[in-house]
Amino acid sequence: MASPARAGVVALRVIRQLKRDRRTIGLIVFAPIVLMILFGYALSGDMSGIALGLVDGGGHAALRSHLESISDFDILRLGSESDAEKLVADGRLDGAVVLGPGDVRVLLDASSLQIASAVAAAVQAGANAELAARGKASGQRAGGDAITTRYIFGYDLEMMDTVGPAILGLVVFFFTFINAAIAFIRERSQGTLEKFMVSPLSRTEIISGYVFGFSLFTVLQSATTLSVVTFGFGVPMVGSPITALLIVLILGAGALVLGCFFSNFARSEYQVVQFIPLIITPQIVLCGIWWPLQSVPEVIRPLSYILPLTYAADALRAVMLKGAGITEILYPDLLALAAFFAVFFAAAVLMLRREVN
Amino acid sequence: MAGNAKSPAISARSIVKSFGTLRVLDDLTVDIPSGVTYCLLGPNGSGKTTLIRAIVRLLKLDGGELTVLGTPVSKVDSIYSQIGYMTQHKALYPDLTLQENLEFYAGLYGIERRKRDERIAELLEMVALSAHRSRLAGTLSGGMYQRLSLACTLIHEPKLLLLDEPTVGVDPRLRQTFWKYFEHLAEEGKTVLITTHLMDEAEKCQIVGYMKAGRMAAQGSPEEILRLAGLRPSLKLWLAEPEKDAALLRAAGYDTAVEGGVVSVRLESHAQIKDVLSAVSPLDTRLAEPRLEDAFLRLSEAA
Repeated sequence: MASPARAGVVALRVIRQLKRDRRTIGLIVFAPIVLMILFGYALSGDMSGIALGLVDGGGHAALRSHLESISDFDILRLGSESDAEKLVADGRLDGAVVLGPGDVRVLLDASSLQIASAVAAAVQAGANAELAARGKASGQRAGGDAITTRYIFGYDLEMMDTVGPAILGLVVFFFTFINAAIAFIRERSQGTLEKFMVSPLSRTEIISGYVFGFSLFTVLQSATTLSVVTFGFGVPMVGSPITALLIVLILGAGALVLGCFFSNFARSEYQVVQFIPLIITPQIVLCGIWWPLQSVPEVIRPLSYILPLTYAADALRAVMLKGAGITEILYPDLLALAAFFAVFFAAAVLMLRREVN
Repeated sequence: MAGNAKSPAISARSIVKSFGTLRVLDDLTVDIPSGVTYCLLGPNGSGKTTLIRAIVRLLKLDGGELTVLGTPVSKVDSIYSQIGYMTQHKALYPDLTLQENLEFYAGLYGIERRKRDERIAELLEMVALSAHRSRLAGTLSGGMYQRLSLACTLIHEPKLLLLDEPTVGVDPRLRQTFWKYFEHLAEEGKTVLITTHLMDEAEKCQIVGYMKAGRMAAQGSPEEILRLAGLRPSLKLWLAEPEKDAALLRAAGYDTAVEGGVVSVRLESHAQIKDVLSAVSPLDTRLAEPRLEDAFLRLSEAA
C-alpha cells in the first residue's frame, strides 16, 4: 500500500533538486514578478495612440497647439460637444476636449484611469502654458478660464483590480504545469523512472511525492506573486491571504498532475513547450479573466466550465475583492478544483505505465 | 562450480516475447542458479536486455513460464525489495550530491537512518568515491558516474542483482575490485546476473550463458564453454625445417598445420606438450590458449 514515508522520500528529493536549480527558482519567483508588472502596466492602459476629440469653439489657441504638439494623441476635430460625447461613449475616442470662449470642458473615459489622467494632465499643462503666454502679452497675471471635467462612464475598479487575482492563478498554473511536465520527462530520460518501477515505490507514491515537494514551491511562488499584486499594484485583499493561498495550492496541485499526465505525450523538454498553446492558452482565453464568461460563445462555453483556472479565478476574485471566506467559495469553486486534481491524479498514476520502453 | 543445490534464482521455461514480427525471446529455457556470478553474453539484439526486463516485468511475456527467486514473474513486484536493477541508463540525479543520491535510494527501500549511513560509507568505499560524497553527481566523470550508479543499486543489499553492463567506463584496477565484490556477494548466497560485451569479463564469471537470436546457445563455466566449442590449446613451433617436422608430427598422430613457416599443433591436453617437444627440436615455442571469444564465434557459426 502507499506509504507516506516513501512519498516523503520523493518529496524531499524534489525539494533538494529544486533548491539547487537556481534558474528554476528564479523562474518560479522572479518571472511572476516581471510578468505581473508587465501585465499591470499593459492593463493600466496603452499610453500611445490616444484618440482625442477636439471641438474648437475658439479662444484657446495656445492650449490647442499644445495638445496638437503631443505625439501620443491622435486628434480628431469635431463639430459639437454632443458628437464628442457620443464617440467617447461608443469607445471610439479615449476622451475629448471642448474649447469655448469662456471655458474648457474635458470629457474623459473613466474605464481607463491612466488614459483619463494623461488627457487631464495634458489639458492642464496646455492651460498653464496659455496662462503664461497671456500674462506675458498683457504684462499682468490673468485668471484662466475654468476647466470642467466630466466622466462619461462612472467610476469603476481599475482593470488590474479585477484581473489581478485571476492572473495570480494563471501564473501558478503555468509554471507548475511546465515544471512538472519537464521533471517527469527527465525522470524518464535519465532512467530513474524505470528504476522506480523495479522498487517498492508505487505509482501513487511517486505522484504524491511530487505533489508534496512542489507544493512548497507553489506556496513560495504564490506568496511572492500575491505580494506584487497587492502591494505593488494595490489590488485589494479584502479576504484572508491564507484562503487565497489555499486556492492557489489546490490549483497548483491540479496543474502538477496535469503536467505529469501530459509528460507522457512529450518526448523532450522541447515538446513540453509545445503544450503551452494547447493547454495554457485556452485557459487564458476561456477562464473569464479577460472576457466575461457571458461573452464566450455558447458552443464552447462548456469548455470554460471544465478548466480549473475558471474556478480558481472566480474564487480568488471572491476572496480578494469581496472578502469571501472558505465556505462561500467551497461550491462550486473549491470542489471543482479538487475534482480536477482528483481526476488528473488518477490519470497521471494510470499513465505511469510499467512498460517504459 | 559454486552454484548450490537450492532452487534456481531464475528459471525460464519456453519463454517467448515478440515485438511486432520480431521474436526477441524465442522459446528460451534457462536456469540461473542461486549464489553465482552469471554472465549473459551475446551479440547485440540477441535478447539479453529483453530477458532482464522480462525478469523484472518491465515487459510482459507472450508465453512461457518465468519464476524469479521462486516467485512467478506475475507477482515479482512483491519481491522488488530483494532485487537490485541497474540499467544502461545510470538512473541518477545529476543535481543531487553523491550522498543525496544514495540517501534517496536508501529511502525508497525504507532503510533506517543509522544502517543507511553505515551502508553508504561502505559502498562509497567500495566504489572508491568516499572523497567525493558532497560533490554533485553531474560533475562526476563517466566512470565515476557508473560507480555511483552501482552503489545505488546495491544500497538495499539485494538477493538478486541484475546488472546491465556495469563496468563500462570503469578502469581495469577498479574493475578488479568490482569483480572481487561480486564474487564476495555470490559467496554470501546472492545471485549476480551481468550482461557484458567484454569476453575477459565473462571469463571471470562462474557461469556464462551465451544467447543468440533469443535462445540460449550455450551455458556453462568458461572451461565448459571452451570444451563445448571444441577449442583446445595449441602449440606454435618455430622449426628449422617446418614442412619436414610437420610431416613427422602428423605421422605421429598430431593435428598439425603449417602457416607462414610456423607449425601449429592442436593439443588434446597440456600433458602432450612434453611429447611434442621431445619429438622435434624447435628454435622457439609458444603456447596459445583458446579464448572464450573464439569459442563463441565458433558456437554462433554453428548455431
